[in-house]
Amino acid sequence: MKAPLSWLKKYVDITLSPKTLGERLTEVGLGTEKIIKEGDDTIFEFEITPNRPDLLSIIGIAREIAALEKTKIKLNEYTIPTPKKKSLSLKLKTDYALFYRWTGICIANIIIKPSPKWLEERLIKVGLRPINNIIDITNYVMFELGIPFHAFDYDQIKGAEMTVLEAKGGESFTTVDEKTYYLPKGAIIIKDKERIIDLAGIKGGLNSGITQNTKNIFLHATVDDPIHIRKTSQALALRSDASAIYERGVDKDGTLKALERAANLVLELTGGEIASEIYDLKTEDFKPWKITLPINKLSMILGIKIPEKEIIDILTYLNLSPKITKWIIEVTIPTYRNDLKIQEDIIEEIARLYGYNNFPKTMPIGEVPTKNPPYFKSYKLEERAKQFLVAGGFSEVYTYSLISEADLNSLGIDSINAIRVDNPVSREYEYLRPTIKSNLIKALYQNKANFNEINLFEIGKVYKGKTVDKAEEYYVLSGISNNKTFYEVKGLLGRMFADLGTDYDPTENIEIIEDGVFFEINFSASLEKMQNKKVFSPIPKYPSITEDVTIIVNQKVKIGDIIQEIKKQSPLIIDVSLLDQFEDSKTFHIIYQHKEKNLTDEEVAKIREKIIKSLKEKFGVKLKE
Amino acid sequence: MTPPRWTELMEEVLIGIKNSALTLILESEDLKALEEVKLQFLGRSGRLTIAIKNIAKLPIQKRPEVGQLANEVKKTIEETITEQELKLKNLESNKRKEQIDITAPGIKPRIGHLHPMTQVLYDVVDVFKGIGFQPCDGPEIETDYYNFEVLNIPKNHPARDTQQTLYLDTRNTKITPGEIILRTQTSAMQGRVMEKANPPLRVIVPGKNFRYEQVDASHGFEFWQVEGFFVDTHVRLTDLFGTIDYVLKKLMGEKTKLKFATTNFPFVEPGVDTYMECSVCKRKGCSFCKQSGWSEIMPAGMIHPNVLKAVGYDPNKFSGFAFAIGLSRLVTLRYQMDDLRLLTNPDLRILEQF
Repeated sequence: MKAPLSWLKKYVDITLSPKTLGERLTEVGLGTEKIIKEGDDTIFEFEITPNRPDLLSIIGIAREIAALEKTKIKLNEYTIPTPKKKSLSLKLKTDYALFYRWTGICIANIIIKPSPKWLEERLIKVGLRPINNIIDITNYVMFELGIPFHAFDYDQIKGAEMTVLEAKGGESFTTVDEKTYYLPKGAIIIKDKERIIDLAGIKGGLNSGITQNTKNIFLHATVDDPIHIRKTSQALALRSDASAIYERGVDKDGTLKALERAANLVLELTGGEIASEIYDLKTEDFKPWKITLPINKLSMILGIKIPEKEIIDILTYLNLSPKITKWIIEVTIPTYRNDLKIQEDIIEEIARLYGYNNFPKTMPIGEVPTKNPPYFKSYKLEERAKQFLVAGGFSEVYTYSLISEADLNSLGIDSINAIRVDNPVSREYEYLRPTIKSNLIKALYQNKANFNEINLFEIGKVYKGKTVDKAEEYYVLSGISNNKTFYEVKGLLGRMFADLGTDYDPTENIEIIEDGVFFEINFSASLEKMQNKKVFSPIPKYPSITEDVTIIVNQKVKIGDIIQEIKKQSPLIIDVSLLDQFEDSKTFHIIYQHKEKNLTDEEVAKIREKIIKSLKEKFGVKLKE
Repeated sequence: MTPPRWTELMEEVLIGIKNSALTLILESEDLKALEEVKLQFLGRSGRLTIAIKNIAKLPIQKRPEVGQLANEVKKTIEETITEQELKLKNLESNKRKEQIDITAPGIKPRIGHLHPMTQVLYDVVDVFKGIGFQPCDGPEIETDYYNFEVLNIPKNHPARDTQQTLYLDTRNTKITPGEIILRTQTSAMQGRVMEKANPPLRVIVPGKNFRYEQVDASHGFEFWQVEGFFVDTHVRLTDLFGTIDYVLKKLMGEKTKLKFATTNFPFVEPGVDTYMECSVCKRKGCSFCKQSGWSEIMPAGMIHPNVLKAVGYDPNKFSGFAFAIGLSRLVTLRYQMDDLRLLTNPDLRILEQF
């Protein structure tokens, strides 16, 4: 929302410099995004939060400034002259579920021409393009007061009747800017006797819009149901300044005053004359409401006691008419502040004007929770795993969870097996990754130009399942290396899991790929197995005996099986490893040890014989000479 | 020769041994020479060893006196040898250093690098642990209910515009389209945790979020937040200010400049936004902070009574505050990185800096 300083100054006296004003407004909730010097004027650009429709108007912003400056706004009141002759009339059939209120008037004998310079300039400064006096007036009053207006060419309203209703869906409608839409079911429309002439709250129709030849107009302001407007606007992806106000909730009591303002401008700028009574169809009189707030609740939530005089000052300049007793503050909420509904809202009003940066800072008191909350995650094991991989030469990456169909296909995965986003930001990021592999392969390639040795890992989520109702997400530990061997990676991961207190065997999770080695382990599952229960065993009192045994064995026989077989032969064998291999010749390193005594050569020789015998029988090995 | 004379002679001999030993020890120029001196005096047939053996030949009443002297001499020689040994070792170590060029660079261990996001995240977890907050982890595939509705953002609420959502494909399921989404905020965990546990609660939830957002230097469609919430009796707005101030100063340095502003999120009231001085430009204004000199870092507020009600708490009994730290942004601010996209770029030239 743009607001020129010169326009704001029409309603409020401003003593603060633009820079300070911007900072103060941001502090009280009117986020100042830009302050631009434009000629001898200054244009503010504000970010308006969704709860404050009133700030989508110059008068609303002026009110906030008045609250800061501790002053009152200046706003002229207008009256509409009684028509000399009721030459025009309309039959209005409303639906109160759609229009809470419908306020309008017919004005005759207008002359369409450009608006005066002052008006055009103001519109340009808030980012609008001047069109003609009538359309400019509707825009001007909307920006001034925050009440959207629409003007119809009276003579194009067939049968001089207007009916408010919901679209059935599929109707075609051409807007004033000559774009055709097919309306969604539930859009609020106005029909004359024959056709749809308005997409209410969003855009007027081309068939009843103001043209160079318009002589008579129907000018109206309505209070539309926010949910209807939002649904339609989203369905059509069509937003307007009016729909932004309606979605947030327009001031229900503001339409009549705004009509008085708009009609007076029409009379002044177009030479027209009032030609009908004022139509004002409404479900009820929309009146200010009251909220009472116990003073002790205020200080309990804020953590400080704000002096009573200061509270009254703040609420008075916010136009909330405070009444204060010993225990209670009572405020009366003007209809344009439909964001103020509960006590906490009033607490915020007082706090923000008091100034958040004027509050002291305290640390919370009370008991520190001792039980782990639901969804608790210990970061300790993850941190140790990461440190381990870093020590092993791997660098950590964070890659996107969303990948493309091409990424899936590159791994031979059919996209039907991955969870899809309905509205991806682009085709590049359409599917939830069922593996981090494609990301890591890409990362490896990206680094090839600058590095020879590339070792990367990520601990991140993968998302499994064909459909979203069967979706499962969990953390994987995934890595890629172009310079480590399978055995180096296996050894590193094995040692890592051992350190983390689990005997998880990562062998099946390591793949040999074109560029090196890739691994991916269900980290969430392996975490559950981590016991961190290590039991110390005393340093052996008696020395071990080590020997190397070289055998000739068919290369199809698995080394893991041979080691298992050797270990099985005696509990005195405490470790077996592969020392060396060349073709079918393999040397195993065997360590024997007895906990309670020195082993003799004879005892070891017996075990060795047993080993060789079993290896001969099982795998047909020969001893190397 | 009378026995007393012999005793005096023995004393002279011992002192003579001591003097010549000390001279030789102090004159030895390397460890090898020192070892020879040691052998010469203390070895099996060393001069002192033999002299000590001879004490046994003395009259019995003289032996303690001479024996004591002998022990003192031995101790002095041993101590001097140890001192000299140390001196010579240092000397040799210096000599060895002189033989190489110590200004040449060290050999770096071939270890990897922990991602900056992880480093900051672990710091965050640590700082909060210090004030009793426990970390939780929750799903990224989330329901509309936990992401929005329980947080006082019903369907068709305009606040949904500020968090454009990525919806998951619900074809071939019985789920209504739009009900299963990628969470847009870690605040989605408020409802999940509060429903299952009673106050007091001090929880943080680090995690990834997703939004339908055009990517630029300060926005991404995937980004990290650390949600936090505190529920107890008598929770005050000043506690929220105090906690934010404590945490950000611990994370970013005691000199960190912060300011608070009012904002609106439907699940808090009063609503607070926290701005931190832009570390990239130091308030001069840059593209990263949209020329404002300040970076929005930690939206927060007092938990809205409607949220407390929705999870089954009595808002008259309990109150609380909640906040979300923009973790990705905190990382870029800490390391003065001017683009969020650097965090998801796996280029080792970036990663090696951390």
